[in-house]
Amino acid sequence: MKRPSVYSRKRRGLDVKMTPMIDVVFLLLVFFLWTASFRVVEYVLPTELSSPARAENAPSDRPLSEWDFDPVIVQVLWPDQQLRWIINETPVNSLAEVRTTLISVARIKSDIPVIIDPAENVPFCHVIDVYDISQIAGFKKVQFAASEEI
Amino acid sequence: MHIPSHPRSEDQGFNMTPMIDVVFLLIIFFLVSSHLARQESQLPLPLPAADAGREIVDDLTPRVTVNVLKHGELVMAGRSLQMADLRRRLQYEFEQQEGRLQVRIRSDRDVPYRHIEPIMLACARTGIWNVQFGVVQRKDAMP
Repeated sequence: MKRPSVYSRKRRGLDVKMTPMIDVVFLLLVFFLWTASFRVVEYVLPTELSSPARAENAPSDRPLSEWDFDPVIVQVLWPDQQLRWIINETPVNSLAEVRTTLISVARIKSDIPVIIDPAENVPFCHVIDVYDISQIAGFKKVQFAASEEI
Repeated sequence: MHIPSHPRSEDQGFNMTPMIDVVFLLIIFFLVSSHLARQESQLPLPLPAADAGREIVDDLTPRVTVNVLKHGELVMAGRSLQMADLRRRLQYEFEQQEGRLQVRIRSDRDVPYRHIEPIMLACARTGIWNVQFGVVQRKDAMP
């Protein structure tokens, strides 16, 4: 019987089999492509709520007229699926106009607090739009109005 | 009987395949588990778009993420919960973290504001003032 020589057997044993390695490398490649490239990068918009505990010593329980300056109150309304904005009781027709108004107010004094008061049926993205504009305009204090009965 | 002259020569060759298998398995396991741990609170949601969004900084501040789905359902740590449960949970976490808690609100962009307002109010009443909204860059936003 012919037996393969010692050298040939030894050589075959040391051969690195590429197929499983390529399999695994492809698997890793696919994993990283899937998780990294097609994922939208998420950002955050930080806000600072004035909690009751923090507000105890703050002047927020004083009437508005006693504040050092009046806040800018932006109401966001959604009657008949249509967006409406009211800035300090003045109706505003478009988001661009809201932007212009807020930017011009912030140029004069950016310490003024902005209070966003959305109606309960306003889609969240439109609330974020106004918050975003206030941040871009440079207001240092942007807050949300809350109704007491919730 | 003929005895092979080098009976042990084959055994001396070190078989790398099982070791590479195991090492790759471990690598994949750690990659996937770390990735999942990071993504745990990142439920796929159509987030609202914003220009002033800041990059997420992984600091050491303890954080809870509240996800608000399309019809206003609340999901926290992979479980859906009611508003009353959320208040209790926030209170518990706030006490556990000794007042250093950050809340990230990730909401579907079309959710009416009435579903978001109670979350912020619950945070404020608990004493949590550090709240963030999850957003995407305007160019990344889906139409």
